[in-house]
Amino acid sequence: MNQLKELQKSSADGTKTIQVRVNGQIVEREVHIRMLLVDFLREELGLTGTHVGCSVEGRCGACTILLNGENVKSCLTLAVQADGANILTVEGLGTPDNLHPIQEGFWEKHGLQCGFCTPGMMMSAYNLLKVNPHPSSDEIREAIVGNLCRCTGYEHIIEAVQYAAERLSSMSKEEREKLLTY
Amino acid sequence: MTTASETKWVGRSIRRREDPRLLVGQGTYIADLTLPGTTYVELVRSTHAHARIRKIDITKAEKHPGVVAILTGQEIAAAMKPIIIPAIRPNLGGELQVPTVYPLAIDKVNYVGHPIVAIVAENKYIAEDAAQLVEIEYDPLPVLLDPEEALKPDSPKIYEEWESNIIWKGTLGNGDVEKAFSEADYILSERFYGHRTGAAPMETRGMVAAYDNFTGLTLHINSQRPHILRMALSKIMNLPHDKVRVIAPKDVGGAFGTKAAIYREEFIVSYLAMKLKRPVKWIENRMESLMSIGQERDQIHYLEIAVRKDGKILGIKDRMIADSGDGSNGVYMGFVMPWLSAAYLTNAYDIPNVHIDLTCVVTNKPCLSPSRAFGEFPARFAMDYALHLVARELKLDPREVFKINIIKEFPYVSATGITHDSGDYVGAFNKLLEALDYDKVKQEQKEARKNGRLIGVGFAMGAEMSGLGSQVFVPMENQPGYGSATVKIDTYGMIQVLEGDSPQGQGHETTIAQAVADELGVNIEDIYISYGDTFNTPFASGTLGNRGASYTVSAAVLACRKLKRKMTKIAAHLLGIESDSEDFIFSNREVVWKKDTTKKVKIEDIADVAILAPTKLPQGMEAGLEATAYFEADIASMLSIGVHGAVVEVDPSTGGFKILRYVVVDDCGVPINPMLVRGQVHGGAVMGIGNALYEKYSFDESGQPLATTLMEYHMPSAADVPHIEMVEFNVPTPYTPLGTKGKGEGIPAPVPATLASAITDAIDRPGFKLLNLPLTPESIWKALNEI
Repeated sequence: MNQLKELQKSSADGTKTIQVRVNGQIVEREVHIRMLLVDFLREELGLTGTHVGCSVEGRCGACTILLNGENVKSCLTLAVQADGANILTVEGLGTPDNLHPIQEGFWEKHGLQCGFCTPGMMMSAYNLLKVNPHPSSDEIREAIVGNLCRCTGYEHIIEAVQYAAERLSSMSKEEREKLLTY
Repeated sequence: MTTASETKWVGRSIRRREDPRLLVGQGTYIADLTLPGTTYVELVRSTHAHARIRKIDITKAEKHPGVVAILTGQEIAAAMKPIIIPAIRPNLGGELQVPTVYPLAIDKVNYVGHPIVAIVAENKYIAEDAAQLVEIEYDPLPVLLDPEEALKPDSPKIYEEWESNIIWKGTLGNGDVEKAFSEADYILSERFYGHRTGAAPMETRGMVAAYDNFTGLTLHINSQRPHILRMALSKIMNLPHDKVRVIAPKDVGGAFGTKAAIYREEFIVSYLAMKLKRPVKWIENRMESLMSIGQERDQIHYLEIAVRKDGKILGIKDRMIADSGDGSNGVYMGFVMPWLSAAYLTNAYDIPNVHIDLTCVVTNKPCLSPSRAFGEFPARFAMDYALHLVARELKLDPREVFKINIIKEFPYVSATGITHDSGDYVGAFNKLLEALDYDKVKQEQKEARKNGRLIGVGFAMGAEMSGLGSQVFVPMENQPGYGSATVKIDTYGMIQVLEGDSPQGQGHETTIAQAVADELGVNIEDIYISYGDTFNTPFASGTLGNRGASYTVSAAVLACRKLKRKMTKIAAHLLGIESDSEDFIFSNREVVWKKDTTKKVKIEDIADVAILAPTKLPQGMEAGLEATAYFEADIASMLSIGVHGAVVEVDPSTGGFKILRYVVVDDCGVPINPMLVRGQVHGGAVMGIGNALYEKYSFDESGQPLATTLMEYHMPSAADVPHIEMVEFNVPTPYTPLGTKGKGEGIPAPVPATLASAITDAIDRPGFKLLNLPLTPESIWKALNEI
């Protein structure tokens, strides 16, 4: 994998050039220092799978991404804070022809209705399954406490995550790690 | 009639066809749409609940670099008619006063959040900054927040030209109520209050408008009813109808009724696009959303129930007062919800004598706007919890009080004129008692009590509208209730279905395709669904009130059947046989002659002839393969039933309680996709739990909203809610072609009475009553300590 450059300096006009690895691709952009990370992803990079549900509150979780291995609300993060970071968004999870087991789980178990919270929800599930291969339904409920869903009542989401856990468990260690590392 | 068991697709829990794009982040929601040259709108909103605007100073904002335009009320009012026009004004009889509403406030504001100035800028950051520079001076006016206070003759008027603050007033009911009350053994008389709560979809409202002189206005908006909005835009903005096109995006992030009303912003954004000749985008932020949409319920019921000693209800009287807010949102104007609440008050019970006085009052709050369980949430709470109170007072088993009153014969027309088409309400109720293991729970309750634990069981019913036919919808909203769909077979034999509704996560692309696939004997992969664009879909009222599976799917099925008649004629012609339509079956993408199944024609071959080689058609037959159907059930309205039950444990020292079990027995007629129905039931029950326990649009004494973030408007997270058990109890309706009925709308409504009655059962002390929502530990503790 290509290495990221050293952290960039900000310029005097309120902009800064940042470099991030997003879904495996290194991108470099000059951004305004006040730009939110979610706007950077959506508007600068066209990755509109990450959604804004509560506008800079961090409560709804629709904008949840993975940043250096942590679940982060990208509406509470500035783009410049992500300089040098390794980011995974829903677009990096799986492809239509090769869905990630988490995506398969949400499809199989009807874990989504309007689909608006789903990308963020799946990113939270990703980190749960990374550390807990066999989560109980209570553990899943706890893990997605920062992601609100208004449609499903969460029942099918829990089944979806359990389905994904089973799929991942049935794989070899290497396969599993490949699917939970970015 | 085709039954589900004979079919291939209907009745199967197949995965949704809309999911793959949503799972990989390629959904197209309104915020994802940006056109070349797009500008961004930020609205400056009132910080006062009731005030005269003394001065608006936009000079600083105008000078801010990047600002494109600034719009105030005077300018936009001069350009269009007031928003309340007949096409979007309810028509319910009674006494009505209509406010004059323009998109931006001109000289007075009526609630915190009332839009006053629109800023257009090159990007949203600039628009937000410039909005901070607008200076508005106000002269505050007395604030009215309590609808009962607002009714007093000497109270200030929200609309000065009105004689009172009553926006709508009228009566509903039938029968001899006085006689019923004179014959009663017992009369329960209580004041019930259902607080202001509702739906807050994960995606806020949003729109992008574009205009050019030739095609006119195109408004992309996450609306539930694009066709109605198109009519309203045309009429109010004085634009020819052919110069207005409304397009709902492919994906909408939930609505639950909130995106069904017609709001001010549609006109502001459209007007700016016309004025600037540049695309204009506005995405509501969460604070704006919580300040202005989905606020519903908010009703007071002075309910009196006359009962015989065996629990049979002889009659009811209700004096209902609803807080409509400022009464300004088009289509509903803050009083259609409480009106329907009154109309459905008798729920699943046979109550012959009913008198309801309904008064809808304007206050300095945002207008009520629809929210899942449209109007019915507080009414179900009052009615069903009252039945439990009656049982306690008469020392009867509540299940016997319910059973004696439940509607048993169908069709049934209520005293308020609501038609219940079919079903087995008693059967569903019995199924709930069985699923709860009611007698066992009651036994466990006794055992637990010995150990100092307070366990209780409760239940409630919900007779949920399943679409509303034109007989109801035309008088109610000046709109048709029919379902409409166009089915077209294209040149390659693929099947396109066009619907004028626009879904928000209900799964139309899957369920409509399942029904159409069965009719035409094809795979769902052969079908594609188009919706949302008013320029190429048949007129429809929108996705609301459970219309999808009852009316819209039925229209699609009828359109297929029209088409099949033509297809069989072509098939017979091509096969060189003389035969009736009934002699053919549609299977495996072929039209097959029953009398000799070797004689068959592929659908694509029929399409090829009908569309590309019309010379091969039977003589005199018109070319093309498409049909549109408008389905109207042969009955005024259809309803489906849901019965809820819960077991709770209460901690009397704090008033806190835990839901140990939550069970829903559900009937949707024939389920098209049972997995999707389960999803609706789970989601609806949890929304009901959120509304009943946690969510409240509250205001301080000056009318400042106190729940403007999702921290304060506490929607339940996964960790807050119990596992929802669901039991299917489906009774096909004879009034739709497939026996299907809609499901989703009414599910939250039985929740508060279910929980309140379970808590009351757990406490089990004379005089303990929960008459006010929400059901918080504080309210329960207070009720316990007041007796």
